[in-house]
Amino acid sequence: MASSTRSQALLLLVVLLPALVAAFSEDNPTDQRVLVLLEDLALKSSHSIFFKSLSSRGYELDFKLADDTKLALQRYGEYLYDALILFAPSVEGHLGGNLDVAAILDFVDSGHDLILAADTHTSDLIRDIATECGVDFDEDTEAVVIDHINFAIEGESDHSLIIGDKLVESDVILGKGGVKDPVLFRGIGHSVNPASDLVVTVLSASPSAFSAPPNAVLKSPPALTGTSISLVSLVQARNNARILVSGSLDLFSDKFFKSSVQKFGSSSRSGSGNEKLAVELSKWTFHERGHLKAVNVNHHKVGEKDEPSMYRITDNLEYSLEIYEWTGKAWKPYQADDVQVQFYMMSPYVLKTLDHNGKGLFYTSFQVPDVYGVFQFKVEYRRLGYTSLTLSKQIPVRPFRHNEYERFIKAAYPYYGGAFSMMTGFFIFGIVFLYHK
Amino acid sequence: MTAAEVASPSSGRGGAFASILSIGTLLLIGILAFSIRLFSVIKYESVIHEFDPYFNYRVTQYLSKAGIYEFWNWFDDRTWYPLGRVIGGTVYPGLTLTAGTMWWVANALNIPLSVETACVFTAPVFSAFAAWSTYALTKEVKGIGAGLTAAALIAMVPSYISRSVAGSYDNEGVAIFALVFTFYLYLKTLNTGSLFYATLNALAYFYMVCSWGGYTFIINLIPMHVLLCIVTGRYSSRLYIAYSPLVILGTLLAALVPVVGFNAVMTSEHFASFLVFVILQVVAIVYYTKRILTPKAFRVAVAVVLTVGTIVALTLIAVLIALVATSPTKGWSGRSLSLLDPTYASKYIPIIASVSEHQPPTWPSYFMDINILAFLVPAGVIACFLPLSDSSTFVVLYLVTAVYFSGVMVRLMLVFAPAACIMSGIALSEAFGTLTLSVKYQIELPDPPTGPVAPVDQTAAGATSETSASATAADLAKDKSVSEKGKETLRERPKRSRKKEKESAEKSVVKKAPKKKASKVLPFEASAVAIVLLLLLVSFYVIHCVWAAAEAYSAPSIVLTSHTADGMHVFDDFREAYAWLSHNTEENDKVASWWDYGYQTTAMANRTVIVDNNTWNNTHIATVGMAMSSPERQAWEIYQTLDVKYVFVIFGGLVGYPSDDINKFLWMVRIGGGVFPHIKEADYLRDGQYRIDAQATPTMLNSLMYKLSYYRFAEATMDGKGYDRVRRTEIGKKSFKLTHFEEVFTTHHWMVRIYKLKPPKNRFRGKNKRRTKPMITDRRNEDPPYLWLTTLYRSVEVKCYLAKVPFGDVDGRQLESFWRHKYRN
Amino acid sequence: MAGGGTTSDVRSLVSSLRSAYAATPVKLKIIDVYVLYALTTALVQVVYMGFVGSFPFNAFLSGVLSCVGTAVLAVCLRMQVNKENKEFRDIAPERAFADFVLCNVVLHLVIMNFLG
Repeated sequence: MASSTRSQALLLLVVLLPALVAAFSEDNPTDQRVLVLLEDLALKSSHSIFFKSLSSRGYELDFKLADDTKLALQRYGEYLYDALILFAPSVEGHLGGNLDVAAILDFVDSGHDLILAADTHTSDLIRDIATECGVDFDEDTEAVVIDHINFAIEGESDHSLIIGDKLVESDVILGKGGVKDPVLFRGIGHSVNPASDLVVTVLSASPSAFSAPPNAVLKSPPALTGTSISLVSLVQARNNARILVSGSLDLFSDKFFKSSVQKFGSSSRSGSGNEKLAVELSKWTFHERGHLKAVNVNHHKVGEKDEPSMYRITDNLEYSLEIYEWTGKAWKPYQADDVQVQFYMMSPYVLKTLDHNGKGLFYTSFQVPDVYGVFQFKVEYRRLGYTSLTLSKQIPVRPFRHNEYERFIKAAYPYYGGAFSMMTGFFIFGIVFLYHK
Repeated sequence: MTAAEVASPSSGRGGAFASILSIGTLLLIGILAFSIRLFSVIKYESVIHEFDPYFNYRVTQYLSKAGIYEFWNWFDDRTWYPLGRVIGGTVYPGLTLTAGTMWWVANALNIPLSVETACVFTAPVFSAFAAWSTYALTKEVKGIGAGLTAAALIAMVPSYISRSVAGSYDNEGVAIFALVFTFYLYLKTLNTGSLFYATLNALAYFYMVCSWGGYTFIINLIPMHVLLCIVTGRYSSRLYIAYSPLVILGTLLAALVPVVGFNAVMTSEHFASFLVFVILQVVAIVYYTKRILTPKAFRVAVAVVLTVGTIVALTLIAVLIALVATSPTKGWSGRSLSLLDPTYASKYIPIIASVSEHQPPTWPSYFMDINILAFLVPAGVIACFLPLSDSSTFVVLYLVTAVYFSGVMVRLMLVFAPAACIMSGIALSEAFGTLTLSVKYQIELPDPPTGPVAPVDQTAAGATSETSASATAADLAKDKSVSEKGKETLRERPKRSRKKEKESAEKSVVKKAPKKKASKVLPFEASAVAIVLLLLLVSFYVIHCVWAAAEAYSAPSIVLTSHTADGMHVFDDFREAYAWLSHNTEENDKVASWWDYGYQTTAMANRTVIVDNNTWNNTHIATVGMAMSSPERQAWEIYQTLDVKYVFVIFGGLVGYPSDDINKFLWMVRIGGGVFPHIKEADYLRDGQYRIDAQATPTMLNSLMYKLSYYRFAEATMDGKGYDRVRRTEIGKKSFKLTHFEEVFTTHHWMVRIYKLKPPKNRFRGKNKRRTKPMITDRRNEDPPYLWLTTLYRSVEVKCYLAKVPFGDVDGRQLESFWRHKYRN
Repeated sequence: MAGGGTTSDVRSLVSSLRSAYAATPVKLKIIDVYVLYALTTALVQVVYMGFVGSFPFNAFLSGVLSCVGTAVLAVCLRMQVNKENKEFRDIAPERAFADFVLCNVVLHLVIMNFLG
């Protein structure tokens, strides 16, 4: 009787345990507290759909005016927020509470996320933040992106309300199925540093677009033209902090979300893709998707369990690790066929693609090369939209010990025979020599 | 007549007393040899010296901890990152095993000795052994008297002291003992023809192979001697017994040492011994057949054998040449080649040439290191020819080759020192022998001697008297062997008063000596003066040696001192830096520095290093050299590929420590440039001159080495000019910032400066220029606020303005707008 | 020199060698046989190496050197116990043999160590 109660309690505990762990888990990459800085509180209502979608997904939004003097990102060295939405394109000098470029960048460098929207009038502050993240807005402060072909007929005659042309092809960033409907955009264009592998352009302009002051006679060719104009870009810093930079604040507005779009020269009207794009991008930026973690890195000799402190050349070893992806609520096993491990010493001696069992376990086995030295197991996994996994584990590889070389080689038997015959010869000789006469 | 006969000791009356006396003297020489090397411990502390000894110390620690098998198989992953080094297979284990055994024995006897103590005192202990084996060796050549003199000389020869002071825990410390002992056993075998000594000889040779790469000297010198004996017709069965087993056993034993291995039969350094071995076999057969055959039949045999033999010899030589030609350096290792061709190293291998002890010595260093022995050696050589024996030819041959080698590499002065001591011992002993004999005869037989030769100087005296005495050397031998002991005690008198009473007893021995050959003696006055002069010379030598031991060679180089008017300054920066590294960095962090400091870093800071003093991989060293010579960013990238976390440089510019990295920098450039041609030495020189002042080349001023050495230097100097006290000039570039390195630690005297590599940037910056200035600089660059306020206070308009606005609410922006407003109107 | 002359010379040489050798004590002859045996073994191994190659070089080296070493040591012994050889009067044959045994023991210990 007693035992059955105990077992029931145990059962209950076993059932509850995952739930408890999940509840107390600090390993939850999704942001919780978001500071929204607005230049005008009217934005709160004009962009209400976007904010509502955020708060419905469980974010605590803290709306503040950008020049609120009591602004503070951190208190007692602890950050008060996990993410920052900066919808204040024209705020000059610095934000309220003496938040300047450096403060925002420190916020990012300590692993927090940022959504940054510019607009037709963008202050140097916003431009500098963007530049520091690898996104260069057109330096002409008057310029906006104009497209005389791919514009929406709902816009003004300067053709500054354009339709984004090309979206990045990535389910991780844009969600399943991507954004099918045209995306409305009114704002400034930017270019991304091509040397940077941290920036990815999500939405770029069409080949006919250019960046120039509207209704002005151009004296020189515009700095940015065609598809090289990025409209919306994402940055993932080395510490996996994510930054969304949009050249248009209106892109997030209720008006654009609800607007129907008719492209110039096309007779059909459709709903805009802005809502989907904005929501999906915010999901990505706040780590609801594409966040990987690698745990339980393990290596050992074939047939053994424990991790050795050192391998010997030509040992056979097994290497495994577990990779999980965050779904916004739970870690689920990651599945990919392109995770590779390097056995590395100044250059990769072994490069193997890891097999996986569908439950997040990636494994492989290989033979240690016939070279000794201090090697590293290196996993460098960088895929578009995913956080980058960089693991390295140092392990020395030693040469054979003196007694590990091959012994009693067949070919050497005559030599052994020679040596031993000399020894017996010596004994016989000694006896004969001693007892002779 | 052989040396063995000459040397047969103390066969006369009082022999027992003489042998006790000589044993006592030897004991005292041993104590002298040990104690003269303790100055470093007394003046500084019981600490391991310099660079290589730290490695040996670390290896010994490992040995004492892990045991011999682990040591044999030791793969060290904390050095030469990421290549690692197989210590067991690349180290000469003799020294380590010796010290380890000493430590183990001491602990087994319940003497609680630390490994460090055992290491520190290994070299002094073995120098006593070396003195004793020198005694034995010289005794084989010229008798006990010469032996004792030579032993006393080597006990304090500065050249040897420089390598064997307490704390100088290096291979040479035990290797010189092994060298001399091997030679002694070879001569002993040669003189007795006993297989027992031949076996011991092979074992001693094995110990030498274990201890030092210089064993090749033995394996080439002995064959040379054998060949010399054969050529000069001195072949004997004893020679055969002394040499043949040595080659076979020695080769096998040498091949057992992992670091030598198959090199013992594969490299050219050893081929001479095999060739001579073959020749010796042939000669042995020839002598044998000559003995059993009639002369006529022998002539026929010679004809037959010659034809066959020439063919065989030719094929053998052809095979040898083919073997040698297949190896890239013609089978010779770089260091050996630089011995035969002194210009080889500087031409081809900067890494060998960059080590100061691989440079040819200067003349003053001969005087410094062997002092008066340099003048006594020729006299000893002459004495060796009178009479010429197998062993004396050997000693002469040893001397000649050692003189040559010491002329090539200053380090090999060490090999020369025992030879010089032996020769000088012989010379001194002969001279004293003749002179004291003369004096004695003069006292006992007061008649004036006939036809004396007035000695001009002591060496001439020794030589000339010996010439006349040569015919009767055998008869005189007994007298000498006794009287030399008297001289020996006399010689030691200035140092040890304890011997005085012994000496008085000893004089009675002298009196008993047979009185004859009065015609060979020198005039009394001349002899007396010569004795006094010799004593003066010897005491000068003693004084010099003590000075050298106390002042010149005792500095551990890890702790520096300087004497100024206001007392002694101690510079303990190295240990400060290593301690910082070991306490403030992660265990697996990699530390880069120039290779000189690799051993110390691994031993004292216990951090992984990229290169160290075992310069086995030129490319790796060149990589570090390239990084040091490159601009900051490239250097950072190079270090990043090597996983380096910390870089340190040795900088002497603040306190005037001359052997710092800036002075070594050209070698880094050369070694780096040897492998990576884009580093060009000329880029670092202005018109062929190496300078770091304003005239220096941009490449030089931008190199990492310059930046790491002189970062913040100008601020630190008193006048802010950045005056470098080593180069005696103002530095070229004074204020600059480091972008990829950050200074984490600089020692008290700035001698070691440690930098940390900054991690890669979290973000990639765009290309646009920065528009808003950072707020802090904003305020600093423009007029400070108080200036605004003072200006405001003074102006009447402001007072009006302030009347409208409460003063407390005035902030910078309002004032600014007011200011603008005012000037616009 | 004519060919016939040479052969006759050689023949006479061989005969004189044989006669001279016949005078050798039996004890020394035993040693000679032993030396010959060792040298033959060495030669066999060298020939074998010529066919098979020098792969286990340490085994080859120790095999050959053990033979050569044995031969050399035996020759040394022969020199010492040879009564005609005046150099070694102060070494008794028993002492010589003891030394020989010691030397051989060392040799074979080293060989054993090096063989594997």
